[in-house]
Amino acid sequence: MDKILAKKDFSRWLEALGAYDVYAPRLIDDVWNYELAADPKAISLDYPQTAIPAKKIVFPQREFFFEFHEADTDGYELKELLPGGKPAVIFGVRPCEGKAVTLTDLVFGGEIKDDYYWKRRNSAVLVGLACASPPSANCFCLSVNGSPHSKEGLDVLLTDLGDHYYVEALTDKGKKLVSEAGAVFHEAKPGDKKAAEKIHADSEKKLSRELKNIKDVPAKLKGMFASPFWDDESMSCIRCGICTYLCPTCHCFDINDEVESQSPLAGRRVRTWDTCQFPDFTMHSSGHNPRPDKAARLRQRINHKFQYFVEAWQNYQCTGCGRCITLCPVGIDIIKVVEKVRDHVS
Amino acid sequence: MSANVYLPKLAQVISVKDEVGGVRAIKTFRTKFLAEGFTHRCGQCAMLSVFGKGESMISISSSPLVTDYLQFSILKMGRVTSAIHDLEVGSIIGIRGPYGNAFPIESWKGKNILFAGGGIGLAPIWSVLQTALLQKKDYGDLTLIYGARTSPDIVFKEELRDLKSKMTVHLSIDVAEPDWKEFVGFVAQNILDKKPSAVNTIAITCGPPIMIKTCIKALSEIGFKDEQIYTTVENKMKCGIGKCGRCNIGRHYVCKDGPVYSWAELRQLPQEY
Repeated sequence: MDKILAKKDFSRWLEALGAYDVYAPRLIDDVWNYELAADPKAISLDYPQTAIPAKKIVFPQREFFFEFHEADTDGYELKELLPGGKPAVIFGVRPCEGKAVTLTDLVFGGEIKDDYYWKRRNSAVLVGLACASPPSANCFCLSVNGSPHSKEGLDVLLTDLGDHYYVEALTDKGKKLVSEAGAVFHEAKPGDKKAAEKIHADSEKKLSRELKNIKDVPAKLKGMFASPFWDDESMSCIRCGICTYLCPTCHCFDINDEVESQSPLAGRRVRTWDTCQFPDFTMHSSGHNPRPDKAARLRQRINHKFQYFVEAWQNYQCTGCGRCITLCPVGIDIIKVVEKVRDHVS
Repeated sequence: MSANVYLPKLAQVISVKDEVGGVRAIKTFRTKFLAEGFTHRCGQCAMLSVFGKGESMISISSSPLVTDYLQFSILKMGRVTSAIHDLEVGSIIGIRGPYGNAFPIESWKGKNILFAGGGIGLAPIWSVLQTALLQKKDYGDLTLIYGARTSPDIVFKEELRDLKSKMTVHLSIDVAEPDWKEFVGFVAQNILDKKPSAVNTIAITCGPPIMIKTCIKALSEIGFKDEQIYTTVENKMKCGIGKCGRCNIGRHYVCKDGPVYSWAELRQLPQEY
């Protein structure tokens, strides 16, 4: 059954998880991020939105596929570098990021599976924290099929009840994580469940922003492909790509070789995050570019999230975290762009 | 097949043939897997690795009926294709795939096939052409309309000479040359000039984007319906399996849902290729 955990015992839970790499929100150089929790006693779940979403732990910004070495027989020796080591447990995952991981699951799954993603994903345990109040000024999860207390993608959901957390273990992985530190938890009382439910209900009324009536947006976007609308909306874009790099649902990547020794040749094949907002993302070696300008690239970002993904998976590829709005250096606001699409008269 | 889709299989280059020289050089490579390889279908592509340089998606130009080797005809363009051009017989490369869908050639049995290619665009349709020739009795008339900028830019020169005894071949170059006896002009103009019959015929066109567009227009003008016209699309690719996000046309990933499209299908997608 559901448990409660006194906040003063929180670090004892983390200390009991020696079998895991424990990640938690940490403030380093004025930026909050999910980092390895070196000192459990210093960890607090009283934090705003992290800059980089939790996707970086299941889909790191940079990872190795394999090593290649020039060899006497067969020319080359390839050494697969699949992720191994301890499973990750991530504390304080916001519900919008848990939901986002269920969306990247769709991309990296399917008929052809991405082993590197799934090695991490299958072992990772996501301990979510319900948002009693919005962690960012641009939260709009309720508008895109999410909620500040959504359990989607999470293994455990914590709700802050003042001096203790209400703990819901949601999956087998989550139940194991709780049972591994059994003694620090106590049985929840009916009043705790009620209190958590009230916080959940109240949190829905506190959302910073909303994006209403967007069910016709996918169809609308289809008809706006050739519209000059995109030129106007993308005018201020400086092609920095932060909207996509720090989006919890964006998954685009590049693959390159890094050479460590020329003779004999040795190096590694590396995957890194990439973004559809860079001009050379789609540029052919001939110089031909199917998405040659900022307008085509902003259109791709919005269309992917609110049309193509919806056609493929019946869900928006946006969980309303608002990072792309908060962090855009020139103030491009996805809520306003989509509202204009919704209200567009062609 | 290895469970890890990103790990290439090693293969040896068993032959290298110069097709075209100069700054837009084209070479044809035949490769043989060192261990177990894969079988492909006409129109599919493979990701070639030159270790230390990276990967490039290249269409397989040999017929699936030929199992001794895989053939790739490659235009020297960027970092990886330039490195491929430096390979010699015996060099080891990595190959993963095959990727993408295929031309539905089984459903074309009993029909005529018109091939319309420009430049290196002959490579992706060469696999279909070779397969149709090997199973000639299953198909009707086979016709090739192929063009290049200049006569030295024509690929498969010897093969095209031999082909003339087996099927109808119309060649063209963009600008007149003293000894050129055949058509002068673009491939689309040659289509309009030769006016091949659209009756019971499938047309396959491949070449640079502008050539594909003009050829489709020309084919439509002489009576080919959208469902009778096929093309193969190229876009920049990294993963080959619909995950890295760059080759999409609308919700389609060219690497996975393409590269082969009928014009009836392709014209439904956003014009972003």
